[in-house]
Amino acid sequence: MSFSRRPLFSLALAALLALSACATRPPASEPEALAEYELNNDPLEPLNRGLYVVHNGIDTVLLRPAAEFYRFLIPQPIRGGVRNALGNLRSPVIFVNDVLQGSPERAATTLARFLMNSTFGVAGLFDVAEAAGLPGHTEDFGQTLAVWGLGDGPFLFIPVLGPSNPRDLAGFGVDIAADPMTWVIADGDSTAEALGWTRTGLTALDTRESLIEAIDSVNETSLDPYATLRSAYRQRRAQEIRNGGANAAPADAIGTGLGAGGSSSAPR
Amino acid sequence: MNRRILLSTALALPLTAGLLSVVPARAEMDINRASSFIENTGRELVATLNSDQPITARRQKVADILRQAVDVEGVGRFILGRWWRVATPAEQQEYMTLFEETLIRNLSARFGEYQGVTFSLGRSQQRTEDDALVNTVIDRPNMAAFSLDWRVGEVGGQPRVVDVIAEGTSLRLTQRSEYSAVISRNGGKVAALLDAMRRQISALAAREGR
Repeated sequence: MSFSRRPLFSLALAALLALSACATRPPASEPEALAEYELNNDPLEPLNRGLYVVHNGIDTVLLRPAAEFYRFLIPQPIRGGVRNALGNLRSPVIFVNDVLQGSPERAATTLARFLMNSTFGVAGLFDVAEAAGLPGHTEDFGQTLAVWGLGDGPFLFIPVLGPSNPRDLAGFGVDIAADPMTWVIADGDSTAEALGWTRTGLTALDTRESLIEAIDSVNETSLDPYATLRSAYRQRRAQEIRNGGANAAPADAIGTGLGAGGSSSAPR
Repeated sequence: MNRRILLSTALALPLTAGLLSVVPARAEMDINRASSFIENTGRELVATLNSDQPITARRQKVADILRQAVDVEGVGRFILGRWWRVATPAEQQEYMTLFEETLIRNLSARFGEYQGVTFSLGRSQQRTEDDALVNTVIDRPNMAAFSLDWRVGEVGGQPRVVDVIAEGTSLRLTQRSEYSAVISRNGGKVAALLDAMRRQISALAAREGR
């Protein structure tokens, strides 16, 4: 997984060097403007907007068409199976984060789901655990850092990965390093490597496919899609961090797949 | 909507309300009242969306339902936020007209997509002192079901929708961010937002006509 991101980081770095401008902080005489500036927490806005344009270009010519093709090529029950299997493969990472967040019950759920779905669920293709009353949830190291009290830091828009921030981006890297599959693939032969690429590719396709309608609707209805995505990402992460706490049932509890087992909830 | 359905809804309500009363109703907005309000409005909306009337008649009906059910004035002002006071009275008035139109057009442009939609009440829960959050599950043919929370407040003695929340994302917060970005990036001119809203409404109208 880690190898596939390298071109993106060099692209991001190039854009960073090309556009190292900062948003202007409003003066203290405008308290409301200042409050909004701090709420947006987007000092790199000019750069981020540039990266958003880059992302949109990649998305228009590559990611969205690929997701559409995937949806067209693979019929629905199989796509659901792929999503379940990808979620199941992420279970070890979710388990580690459950433990690190001090949630033994959720960790036990993740472990039980992994064991049930890997066996009775035919390598994770069927979510038998959900049918047995153990619905999945997602966790990642960005959320763990938040639970430990770390703030998110300035907003970042990373081409292909989407909206993020230093905390969640670091968490994304830690999750890759903490994933046993990463090491199996790194130590393995060319077959293992091919499987690793397949998993990365399917994760990207599955995630983008699940977001086709949501992103289309933002692009069609928002007068400023960048601002909409920035606000939506923050709110969504806040809900994920408190595990949906104060709000009603997260999507995975009603089986939308978005976020079930953690394969596709956070933009990655 | 059919009178018989209305009647049976009314009869079923006390029962539903009884089942839903997990939280003691201490706050201003009674959770049972809020959920029956959402259930009634939702039924009316779904019946209109699924009816085979011509599109203009359906849009008119949807507009009536939204004006009845949504605190358009309050939500509109909330979304414009700090720019409300920057706006001239004429701009404020035009903004409100455009805001309501945007709300209605955004829904009517999607009538086709909502064909066959059904909804049901999900878990219902109290959220703040003043408002109630009512959870619903929206189902469309061949699509994964999704959950929507309706924030219901009391406005002028009546329950009114003040926000819609999808997976932790509040529509009014997101839209406030969006509108404010448009104004900020155009030198703090509210007129720029009004222009953008007008363009959006004509685009939506064009889409509807297609």
